[in-house]
Amino acid sequence: MNKPIDAPFGLDAAAPGDAGLARWREEYAAQIGTDRAVHNRSGIPIKPLYTAADWSPGRESAMGLPGQPPYTRGIYATMHRGRTWTQRQLIGLGTPAEYNARLQGVLAAGATAVSLIPCNSVFRGVDMDASHVELLGTCGTVINTAEHMDRALQGVDLAVTSCALNDPSPFTLLAFMLAAAKKRGTDWRRVSGTSNQSDYISHYVANHMFFRIALPGARRILGDHIEFCNRFVPKWNPMSVVGQHMQQAGATPAEAMAFTLATAIQNAEDCIARGMDPDAFLPRFTFFFDISITFFEEIAKFRAGRRIWARMTRERLGAKDPRSWRFKFHGQTSGVDLTRQQPLNNVARVAVQAMAGIFGGLQSLHTDAYDEALSCPSEFGARIAVATQNILREEAHLTDVIDPLGGSHYVEALTDQMQAEIERVMGLVEEAGGMYRAVESGLVQRLIGESARRFQAQVDCGEQTVVGVNAYQVDEDRSARPVNARPDPAAMRAHLEDFRAFKAARPAGDVARALDALARAANDARDNVFGRVVEAAEAGCTHGEICATLRRELGFGHVQAVV
Amino acid sequence: MTAARDALPEGLLRGDRRAVARAISRLEQGSDDAAALRAGLAAHLGRAHVIGVTGAPGAGKSTLVHALLGALVARGRRIGVVAVDPSSPISGGAVLGDRVRMGEHGAHPDVFIRSVAARGHLGGLSPSTRAIVDVFDAAGFDTVIVETVGAGQSEVEIMRVADTRIVACAPGLGDDVQAIKAGILEIADLLVVTKADLAGAANTARDLREMLHLRAPAVAGAWQVPVLSVSATQGEGVAGLLDRVLDHGAAGGRGRRLRPGPAASPQAERVFRLAAADPFVDTLGIACTRASAGEAEVRLRLRADHLNFMGRCHGGVVFALADTAFGLAANSHGAMAAGIDAHITYQQAAQAGDTLVARAREVSRTRRLAVYRVEVEREDGQSVSSFTGTVYLTRQHHP
Amino acid sequence: MSETLIPKVLVTKIGFDGHDRGSRVVAAALRDAGMEVIYTPPWQEIAAVVKLATEEDVDVIGISSLATDHLIVPKLMQALREAGLGDVAVIVGGIVPDEDEQQLLDAGVARVFHPGSSLPSIAEAVRALAAAVRARRATA
Repeated sequence: MNKPIDAPFGLDAAAPGDAGLARWREEYAAQIGTDRAVHNRSGIPIKPLYTAADWSPGRESAMGLPGQPPYTRGIYATMHRGRTWTQRQLIGLGTPAEYNARLQGVLAAGATAVSLIPCNSVFRGVDMDASHVELLGTCGTVINTAEHMDRALQGVDLAVTSCALNDPSPFTLLAFMLAAAKKRGTDWRRVSGTSNQSDYISHYVANHMFFRIALPGARRILGDHIEFCNRFVPKWNPMSVVGQHMQQAGATPAEAMAFTLATAIQNAEDCIARGMDPDAFLPRFTFFFDISITFFEEIAKFRAGRRIWARMTRERLGAKDPRSWRFKFHGQTSGVDLTRQQPLNNVARVAVQAMAGIFGGLQSLHTDAYDEALSCPSEFGARIAVATQNILREEAHLTDVIDPLGGSHYVEALTDQMQAEIERVMGLVEEAGGMYRAVESGLVQRLIGESARRFQAQVDCGEQTVVGVNAYQVDEDRSARPVNARPDPAAMRAHLEDFRAFKAARPAGDVARALDALARAANDARDNVFGRVVEAAEAGCTHGEICATLRRELGFGHVQAVV
Repeated sequence: MTAARDALPEGLLRGDRRAVARAISRLEQGSDDAAALRAGLAAHLGRAHVIGVTGAPGAGKSTLVHALLGALVARGRRIGVVAVDPSSPISGGAVLGDRVRMGEHGAHPDVFIRSVAARGHLGGLSPSTRAIVDVFDAAGFDTVIVETVGAGQSEVEIMRVADTRIVACAPGLGDDVQAIKAGILEIADLLVVTKADLAGAANTARDLREMLHLRAPAVAGAWQVPVLSVSATQGEGVAGLLDRVLDHGAAGGRGRRLRPGPAASPQAERVFRLAAADPFVDTLGIACTRASAGEAEVRLRLRADHLNFMGRCHGGVVFALADTAFGLAANSHGAMAAGIDAHITYQQAAQAGDTLVARAREVSRTRRLAVYRVEVEREDGQSVSSFTGTVYLTRQHHP
Repeated sequence: MSETLIPKVLVTKIGFDGHDRGSRVVAAALRDAGMEVIYTPPWQEIAAVVKLATEEDVDVIGISSLATDHLIVPKLMQALREAGLGDVAVIVGGIVPDEDEQQLLDAGVARVFHPGSSLPSIAEAVRALAAAVRARRATA
């Protein structure tokens, strides 16, 4: 007798009917003692058991198949079994030479792509000769010129290796990289990678460190950047819409996904308003998310996100090419879940977070080092982080099956519920006039602040356990903690001297002309500001000079202080 | 007189930042030498032009002050700013965010910003706020800006703190013009329509002009209250506003706060002075809003700590409010009057957030005894309580 | 007639880091604990912090530091002393490696709060520090 294909196989009896379920309920109630209401971080109530009554394949919200809309099970037919996720570990420390040394080590250990984090001074838009010297290079690489970038990427073939640059508006790091590529004779059309976290809205709301230029100016430059890359660097992903900052600032997973999708819609509509065809730029939109430790909630969040994006790109943005409907994302395990107490516990946490990302169907993964909560991560910690990914893939075989949790009553029911909650929050943003208006008015910041306070209250009263912090504490042997690597002061001094000498020796006329052209472009809506940034990089202008010029013309990026 | 002079801390008169700040703290905290400090300041007042900015929440006061600061700094002024933020009615704490909204001017050497929590005082102005303005005046600041909480209630308190009073009003705030209650238009020297780049700004300006015309018709020779439109974000109208403000100062505005107004009687002046010297009035947050011979009006916005175990206004608070009006009215003539008998009936309960008004009037007065009747109402006219009190008039007089 | 002590606290960030979730949550908690809090956005210049602390006559300054910005806190302590604000209590909250904590305490920082510190414990500490600062000033 042939059983129908979608009947659950392996069960001899009939599917759980009312009688079986009723009996389970009785036994559960009798044995559980005091039961408590459980909610996940997004506020969705979680039951002890999920059955076909909660979700079954026959329902309208069918799972679908990988590589087919609505992509719940994954955006590609092969997913990780075919092409594993890109192992892209964020690194950045000290001088370009020190970065290059660390980079070579990470590539040799199996990472398949380059990632660069610049120094905080760079994020703030100032050159090293205008910074507190104690703070240079402690959390990222000090890169102020095209020449620094060239040194940092020594030995990396830009025509072959994908590079992700943490590079907020006005995207000077990419400009330096393109200048270096041109000097090396590398065709820009072969350069691939991502302007990581290029989303000015998330910076304004939640990662203020990256917010350099006032909102309207940042909006303009992003549009110019997308257009420029579309024409001249076609394999580059200029748009990385960020959910990580908001989730780390306290947004619930559903809120983070909602705000991120709303931001993507805003940016896409801005591009369409400039006359761009959605199918021309949407395939190069990528997303960047936090992966917290609430395992199933994160998996459901990503699956729901894929579904919503597939629908909105088609229905709201009018995209026809299936590549435009694909929700491509990079996930980073959440540093906010890591603790300073008993830091080795963080290895376990990161493994669980990484698993959630893998089952969530990400395209690129960064795993945090266990010492992230102590200071900038050590090389030792970074190695364990990469090894974690290799173990999950090759020992635990987590990638042999595509979307292994698909069809689980719980995961599918939760995906639907997360979708509903995400859409509810997106509705609030719509009512406020879209994401740009919503952040201008402070609505998004207020919602995030409330969620942050709520979570802290749960931790403070013990409702949410954090091992080693509010439960299972031990007296720790502090000498067991790793000592933090600091940049070599002598190397940094040499880097600074070098920089001063460079500024003194470069042709002043070229610099002045390039900055002047940049300033004029900022005031001319027909010109492309990012194109002028690239020219300025080629002319030897420094990062600080480029940022100062644009801040002057387009406004300094002040953030709202919303408590 | 020398004793009063000694009460002033070293450096205050020459504007030393730390001395000014510490003096303000002593007044705010009500330290033991606060009274002596206040008395010591009296001889050094009158040079500063005090500008008050009020308006409903969302009216754009902070943005307006920020713009004014920029214009004043450009003209070489030295400005002290008192920025008042509301206190939480639940915890009593406050986040003082006004300073930050004044932007980069806070870092300018010619600008001194002091953030103050309203602490439940009506309109955000308490006796210590007045004293802070005096400190800035005595310390040589030529301009002082006071920005109030602006709860939409009657900000009449500002009358006695500022020389030049600006009322800010934003277009499209719903009942914008209606929200300006009676009492505000009477005290405004300038009306400013903020966010003038928004739609509806012109209508708001027109409505304000009409209302002014009806409620406070122009008197020949007196200051004509202008209605000005300002868009601080676009930088429009700010210079014009500052010009008119300075005009008002020159036309007799500057130092006005220290002089009894032509309309104010000696009795009214006395009442206000007595109210300001009453520690319990300050503690409860009572404000005296009107006075004349034998009459006084006081107001109180009810806070959480004025309530009883049933969540209604504590009877003792209503009594204290009525008794305050009674005492002020009874003492208005100058003779020290001591209460010897009082009765109260409570008609209706009031709750947190209500504003109560108590009006006392003289019913009879002989050589040694006087009787007063006080009606306590909610601001909407609802009767809350009625009080009758008798005083014995002593032979002593108020100084 | 003195009022019950209402601590006046500045919560701010110096240096380059811009993550302010912690500082905002702490500022709100201190307000809910009945204190008057001046809250600034990140990247305050040390000179601006000193000016603000002077004018507002704060009792306690709370510095939030997540990256390595704590490394310039000694500069802030020096600037405060030079401006005559050596009596103001300074606390640092955030990510401070163990080997740097003693350095901060030696520079005059009253206390360092690490991740996992509960809000009530921070509020209690701030209240005690403010009371001590006021008591010292009263007798000075």
